[in-house]
Amino acid sequence: MTTAALLELDQVSRRFGGLQALDGVSLEVQQGEILGLIGPNGAGKTTLFNVITGLTAPSSGSVRWRGKAIEGQRPDLLCRLGLARTFQNLRLFRQLSCLDNLQVAMGRNDRRGALELLALVQLQGRAEAAAGSLAYGDQRRLEIARALATGPQLLLLDEPAAGLNPVEKQALRELVQLLRDQFQLTVLIIEHHVPLMMQLCDRLAVLNFGRRIALGSPEQVRRDPLVIEAYLGKGAP
Amino acid sequence: MEVLAQLLINGLSVGAVYALFALGYTLVFSVLGVINFAHGALFTLGAYLTYLLLGGAVGSNGALAGLQLPLALPLWAALPLAGLGTAAASLVVEAVAFRPLRRRGAEPLLYLITSLGAGVILVNLIQLLMGAEAYALPGQLLGALPAVLALGDGLQIRTVQLLLLLVAALVMLLLSLWLNRSRAGKALQAVAEDATTARLLGINSGAMVQLAFALAGFLAGLAGGLVALSVSIAGPYFGISYGLKGLGVLVLGGLGSVPGAVLGGLIVGIAEACVPGNLSGYKDAVAFAFLFVVLLLRPQGLLGRRLVEKV
Amino acid sequence: MLDVSLLVQMLLGALLALAVYLPLRAGQLSLATPGFYAIGGTVAALLSTRAPALAGDGELYPLSSVLLELLLALLLAGALALVIGGPVLRLQGIYLAIATIALVEILRVLLLNSSWFGGAVGIFAIPQPFDGPEGYLGAYGLLLALVCWGCHWLEQQPLGRAMAAIRDDELAARCMGVDTDRVKLLAFLFSALVAAAAGVLAAHYFNSWNARQASFDASITSLAFVVLGGSRTWLGPVLGGLLLTALPELLRPVGDLRLIVFGLVILLGPVLIPQGLIPRGLINPKRP
Repeated sequence: MTTAALLELDQVSRRFGGLQALDGVSLEVQQGEILGLIGPNGAGKTTLFNVITGLTAPSSGSVRWRGKAIEGQRPDLLCRLGLARTFQNLRLFRQLSCLDNLQVAMGRNDRRGALELLALVQLQGRAEAAAGSLAYGDQRRLEIARALATGPQLLLLDEPAAGLNPVEKQALRELVQLLRDQFQLTVLIIEHHVPLMMQLCDRLAVLNFGRRIALGSPEQVRRDPLVIEAYLGKGAP
Repeated sequence: MEVLAQLLINGLSVGAVYALFALGYTLVFSVLGVINFAHGALFTLGAYLTYLLLGGAVGSNGALAGLQLPLALPLWAALPLAGLGTAAASLVVEAVAFRPLRRRGAEPLLYLITSLGAGVILVNLIQLLMGAEAYALPGQLLGALPAVLALGDGLQIRTVQLLLLLVAALVMLLLSLWLNRSRAGKALQAVAEDATTARLLGINSGAMVQLAFALAGFLAGLAGGLVALSVSIAGPYFGISYGLKGLGVLVLGGLGSVPGAVLGGLIVGIAEACVPGNLSGYKDAVAFAFLFVVLLLRPQGLLGRRLVEKV
Repeated sequence: MLDVSLLVQMLLGALLALAVYLPLRAGQLSLATPGFYAIGGTVAALLSTRAPALAGDGELYPLSSVLLELLLALLLAGALALVIGGPVLRLQGIYLAIATIALVEILRVLLLNSSWFGGAVGIFAIPQPFDGPEGYLGAYGLLLALVCWGCHWLEQQPLGRAMAAIRDDELAARCMGVDTDRVKLLAFLFSALVAAAAGVLAAHYFNSWNARQASFDASITSLAFVVLGGSRTWLGPVLGGLLLTALPELLRPVGDLRLIVFGLVILLGPVLIPQGLIPRGLINPKRP
């Protein structure tokens, strides 16, 4: 079974002044998979998201969406192609109601559709509340709903579990699986909480100092000596 | 060649005042990230204070009609004293128009309005007290010095211009020495760089903001006094056009950049001096035309740093 | 105390406030409003005094000619807004504000120095389409109602919502598929059109027109209208424009102190009522 990858990164590099944030990263995201991106702080995970979603142009290398080069394109056009993301530090439209947050992303007046999405993330009761007034965990879920409202095929989640309690983390895992199973979404997810990622992801990619040092099933990655070294330092058992 | 040198001399002396003016803006901007629209009014205040301290009498239209200080100070004492008086007023502006908003972490937009309100009050208080008439600073300030100095080769400079250039240069030199060498100056720069980290290092950012306002006020007062000396006071509103031009100079050089403010001032001063006499009406647009072009080509200004939004 | 001419000026203030509000709703602090206002007024002043064909036969200047002026002024202001909006709107925050101040100043200096526009004295004896201030009251009332209705409609539309989203977080809006450049440009365009239309009527109403109409003071005054009224819905600027225009006139009894009181109001307003008089949510209460 060889289907063309939904998203292909080919030798993507990005340099900020003296800092090599991404160093020749190649990665293929297959249709329908949940691919996890892990690595220490500053490994280049968010930069990779920014390159994929058009916020940062790669210094070299190419990004292909369904076989077409998309690197350096405007974020709004990429969003309309079907790539939607959330942000590590929540970036909701804080003064707008939950409903309007979703309708902005939909680009049309669709109250009913927005309410359905709110129900999906258990926020149906807060439709008219200003997004900034929600509890932290609710804001995280609203941001996911807002990304869904753009009608994506690929969902990029940047640390969606950060700051959530164990119950919320479990709910998040179920939500992401539901999105993949029922909505046929492909998910690329950055997360530090390794146990959650082990349960959730089909494959894991590990970044360190801007390089992809491992790629494979959670089990393979867990045993990878390079990964152990990156996380625990040299000389660890 | 001589024409060019003469243009340079005229341009530099005007540009030096713009630079002083823009330095005040930039000090406040560097610590708070906002523009103080009361700056032009402080400049006006400095001019009137200089006039009063030099022994000038209040005209017949103001509430203080006929008032005159019992003694007339010499210029070398009146200018810095006027600067100090303006610095005090600047601290008041900070306390009423900036501090309440700063405490609340308000939108930068609101500072524009409150500082403008402070400026409107200040200008109209001056008008109420001193009347709307023009004031010329008393004559023989420069003592026995001639009004115009010949520099040979047909070049000449008004003594006032020379004085203005020298004082401005001296003040800018002292300011940059102070900023880079003294403890307080370095603390001020640290707050400008990153207020949160500076606070963690034990720097009182509130005190630094006040220091920036006091310095900015001093510079505005000094610039006002010098301009009044050079071209006389046209009325309480005469600071406004300088205030706007100073804004142009500020952005031209790069917001928050001290050398940028100086460079911007000199460029605009010289460019204005180069406008031919028959087009002099367009002189006031030069600073803004420059500003506009620079903003489009290099939004961070000539010497400013580019800001990148972190995601 | 509230005579008709004051009412006319209050309506004018409300219109100018809406012109500042429109880009601000999209997070863009543009102070170019007086520039477009001056363009509208200059077009009207020039056409009505220099084009005899427009004067008509009757005692009053024909309304159809005013409409023609309006059309031309809107076309000119709109074209200019589209041309300069592209590059200018790439600037962020205070840089945009200063660039638009610069634009207004450049325009003012050009008008002031061109004899064609009447130079420093301006253009006089602009003909009157109405025989009293009541006519202007009606015209301005109609224009204001139209603009308010437009703003209200816009706020319910995807475009209006996208504007508000950009104000909250431009980068996030872009990532959610909003063509932010286009939305900002449209907001800037709408603002220019409102200001130019207000200017056309103002030239006739004031009977004379000069370069001082495009001043920095006017920029900031109309910004004060918006800030004090509240900038989250259109009702805020309208209220701010009406009240603050009336204020200096109502304060006339205190004589010389009136501008000081005006200064106090704009100094204390943002400190005491940070959200403005009309905060978000008041105008569109929760629907059932």
